[in-house]
Amino acid sequence: MLKGKNISLPQGAKDILPDEAEKIGLAEEIILSTFKRCGFKRIILPLVEYIDVLSLGMGSDLKEKVFKFIEPSTGRVVAISPDITPQVARVVATRMRDIPLPLKLCYNRSVLRLQDTSSGKSKEVLQIGAEYLTEKQTFQRDAEIIIVAIEALKALGLKDFKIDIGDVSFVRGIIDNLSIDEMERKRVKDAIALKDVSALERLLSKLGGKLKKNTRELIMSIPGFFGTEDVVHRAMDMAPAGVTKDALKNLISVLDIIDKKGLKDFITIDLGEIRGFDYYTGIIFEGFAHGVGKAILNGGRYDNLMAKYAYNCSATGFAFDIENLVIAMDIGT
Amino acid sequence: MRKTGTNHNLLAIALPKGRVLKEAVSLLKKIGIDCSNAITSSRKLIFENKKENIRFMVIRPQDLPTFVEYGAADIGIAGKDVLLEQEKDIYEPLDLGIGFCRMVVAEPKELGLIDNPTHWTQIRVATKYPNITLKYFLRKGIQVETIKLYGSIEAAPLLGLSDRIVDLVATGETLKKNGLIEVEEILKVTSKLICNRASLKTKPERIREVIEKLRQVI
Repeated sequence: MLKGKNISLPQGAKDILPDEAEKIGLAEEIILSTFKRCGFKRIILPLVEYIDVLSLGMGSDLKEKVFKFIEPSTGRVVAISPDITPQVARVVATRMRDIPLPLKLCYNRSVLRLQDTSSGKSKEVLQIGAEYLTEKQTFQRDAEIIIVAIEALKALGLKDFKIDIGDVSFVRGIIDNLSIDEMERKRVKDAIALKDVSALERLLSKLGGKLKKNTRELIMSIPGFFGTEDVVHRAMDMAPAGVTKDALKNLISVLDIIDKKGLKDFITIDLGEIRGFDYYTGIIFEGFAHGVGKAILNGGRYDNLMAKYAYNCSATGFAFDIENLVIAMDIGT
Repeated sequence: MRKTGTNHNLLAIALPKGRVLKEAVSLLKKIGIDCSNAITSSRKLIFENKKENIRFMVIRPQDLPTFVEYGAADIGIAGKDVLLEQEKDIYEPLDLGIGFCRMVVAEPKELGLIDNPTHWTQIRVATKYPNITLKYFLRKGIQVETIKLYGSIEAAPLLGLSDRIVDLVATGETLKKNGLIEVEEILKVTSKLICNRASLKTKPERIREVIEKLRQVI
């Protein structure tokens, strides 16, 4: 039977058999019904888009992960979507332009990402996510989307999880205003992303007189700004006025709302977190469950993305990583 | 991706097998973490310290970042060579300053006499580190064909497999014995403390304690 024929799958592709599919189906059902209860409406977006349209909403990080091919009839480059958020931005800015804000949308579909560009290995990721588009950013909206994530995880029967909250404008506000060249700025950011205190120390001592003493102290403290809410107050004492301080004030208001809902125990803070997509502009968050070494959900605010599609509004959203979520459900329920 | 057990505050530490193990063990001892039986019992791979609620494991250096990335270990000690080669999604909070060596480009002595690296346009290099090698030469605008080997790199030029190698040197003795000379240094290698992302978020105090204590003694 099939002797001599190669019937393998491409690298990174996988089948999901009935047992696993049943678990995923259950997770989908619970999450989508939580979204529905919170007022999110489902949309179905295409798997393929023109790369030049999709690229408007992707940073260089995502662009590197796109699987592309040429459409034979037109010669245009078509991409298999690596992320649904830019697609939501496109559809809202075009077909849904006249619908008044706020808009609450959710989706449930696979995306395809190149994992390792040198080997061409790709990975299909099932994303269940929600996007919340409003006229302006407010701390209430930032809190609301995080609470939706917590409610969904609770509905899934998970008890032992944390939502880790940060704000990319905290670090950007400190680093982007330093009078150092772009290469130095990138090195400082890379060291912060790795929480590499040793490299940061080395870099800052090289920069010497270009930095004030209190700026240096603040930057050296960034990798340690993780844990409970008190790190926000510690950071507040050191932060310069402007973008950085505003980010912390916003975060405190968000935490206050979450606290009043009695959900504070699910929260951890990491002000030094600057990983995640380039398009994030404010609060970012990731979900972690006990016993799972990788994030089960991630999301954040992306206020500039919509403007790239000529539609001015604020937006935030998140998506579950279903593969990791199912592992968390196996362990935690 | 799955961690075993339901012990919430367990700290799982991955130690590198081989060259750096002794230094790693004595460094951890300085901060009150005793894992000396990792040295004495050579076949056992996983050890439990119930009193301190610590599990440690001895892992091949090349595999160690993977164990930490997937959360099989919360923290670990890994060389910059492996970290740069693999670029895992982890934190790297401290340079521990142990396990010092250098990564260099080397070639046969005879070739070295007539060779001029500024004239290289296309070279063939045998190495355990194809990604670092590729990036290093591409940045200089030199086309490089890498041959991935898992050991005995120094033999490659002698047997005509490649003209040059990229490998670690500690004393330079192995290069010398095989008639090779160093041409360029790519990077200085030391070991770093690395940390799983989820572990840092879910047990922040435990992880912070280790980072802070280690920072005091390095």
